[in-house]
Amino acid sequence: MARYLRNGFLITFAILWLIPTYLLVVNAMTPSSSYDGSPDWFPGGFGFFDNLSKAWESADLGLGIYNSLLYATLSAGIAVFAAAFASFAVIVMPTRRRGLWFWLIYSGTLLPLQIFLAPLFKAFVDVNLYDTQLGMVLIYAALCVPFAFFVVRNYLTTVPDEITEAAQLDGAGWSRLFWRIHLPLVKSSLLAAFVFQFTWVWNDLLFGITLSTSPNIRPVMAALAELNGGYSSLGPPIVLAAALLVSLPTVVLFLTFQRFFASSLKPVG
Amino acid sequence: MGAGVTEPAPSTAVRTRAPGAEATPPRPRAHGPRARRDALTARAGIAMYILPALALVGILLLVPFGYTVYQSLTEYDGISPAEFVGFDNYVTLLGAERFHRSLINTVIWTVGTLLLPVLLGLLIAVLTNASGWPVWVRYAFVLPYAISGTATGVIWGFMLRSDGAVNQVLGAFGLDSLQQEWLLSWPMNTIVMILAETWRAVGISIILFLVGLQTVPRETVEAGMLDGASGFRLFRRIVFPQLRAVTVVVVGISIANSLRVFDVIWLLTQGGPGWLSETLAVTMYRQTFVLSEYGLGSAVAVVLAVIVVSVSWIYLRQQMPKRG
Repeated sequence: MARYLRNGFLITFAILWLIPTYLLVVNAMTPSSSYDGSPDWFPGGFGFFDNLSKAWESADLGLGIYNSLLYATLSAGIAVFAAAFASFAVIVMPTRRRGLWFWLIYSGTLLPLQIFLAPLFKAFVDVNLYDTQLGMVLIYAALCVPFAFFVVRNYLTTVPDEITEAAQLDGAGWSRLFWRIHLPLVKSSLLAAFVFQFTWVWNDLLFGITLSTSPNIRPVMAALAELNGGYSSLGPPIVLAAALLVSLPTVVLFLTFQRFFASSLKPVG
Repeated sequence: MGAGVTEPAPSTAVRTRAPGAEATPPRPRAHGPRARRDALTARAGIAMYILPALALVGILLLVPFGYTVYQSLTEYDGISPAEFVGFDNYVTLLGAERFHRSLINTVIWTVGTLLLPVLLGLLIAVLTNASGWPVWVRYAFVLPYAISGTATGVIWGFMLRSDGAVNQVLGAFGLDSLQQEWLLSWPMNTIVMILAETWRAVGISIILFLVGLQTVPRETVEAGMLDGASGFRLFRRIVFPQLRAVTVVVVGISIANSLRVFDVIWLLTQGGPGWLSETLAVTMYRQTFVLSEYGLGSAVAVVLAVIVVSVSWIYLRQQMPKRG
């Protein structure tokens, strides 16, 4: 009896959870001309690519995708390397005041993002970084550093001191130690941090709508938000098709790295 | 993993290069300008490694943070010069009905997105961990986590609009009386948005709890069963205590996320109707970038930061095992 109850509960919830995704896919496929004003529950016709091309036209979705790809790759890459350098300094090198450096860099993730917005907006306008690709890459990189630092640093503490000492006796300098010994040893944490931060940048809306405005600069989520603003005039299938498309990259990444995510978030100790 | 890397310092290599290596580092009696210069270059070397991360965080995050704190003490409309007004902005906030509502909504969001994803995540993780469930059941819950808040807003807008899927289903089952404008009245709009966020966020709790469940030793569970524990009792007395570390992480993540939710609200109601469904994160954005009241907006951001930091700190202090 308890068993049936349990299974019934689980199946019911699983189906409930799938419904929004199912409706998203079905209605993103519905040709926008044949959408009759209420959601379709069964596939009818295949208008996905037509819907996308309309979204492409009205919100420059393609440019948004290109920009987000650029920002996510570059910023996550820069952040991971900056984080690796800093972790190396704090863990391996004989640095003084390690705690201070750790908290200075890590404090970025403790604060809510809203606290950075207004001064950034003003400063970006003043130094001509507002609505530029360079400005977006810089701010996303900065936002990604603290958490990447946290992940890589944690991992670097597991490298035994003997390795460092042995290599130093061998005559290796800091840069050789870093590039040849420690970086290869913490490779998997670098990848985990990169995937995490890539996903974060790709999914960001707040900084996209605050620090950029023109279609050839703004990231993809800002474009999607604008499309959603024209929901009633464009029709749901077009907006849903765009939402489906921009979700695919992170869904694929997530499925590929699922185990990885979990193990790198595991509490240490 | 790094077998080739851990071994490249066999004793022979050390011995052959020993003279050169000995000459530089371990000289305890080195004084004078030369030693000082060495210490300086060493420090400069370290600085080169810390600098990129520190510069990015310092210039783009910490300086703006400090400036926001300062700006919360001024009145500034983005055009005419800023005027120092002390704590006036905070006093204004204390008396503003809109700010009270925003605070209440923030509390509702925090409690809601704390309880629902964590409890539901734990329940689903335990249930799907127990027996051989097909993979799709787990993926049904986990997949939405990969979807952005913006796309979640689009999807749930499609569900919740007056001509959306939810009202359609209610109509089809003859429950017309339950049909309503889900997003246009408070507190219903906040409740359904919390459900939308739960739909997205439950995945991460499930994943983390599943990882935690795998670390529970089989012997412990079997011993508990031998002692006659089963079902809920077995879970509460034997399994759950082992999940403590994971629970701390899941709850910590949920608290931090729930206080920052912006995308879902911005897409679904923009904080409306009026400002009824605003949370602090949305109020700050609107006050600053829509209404151009920089000082007030900054004060809201500071209040939010104080809440986030102190809640996380209190929580972690309580949960972390005390050292020494």
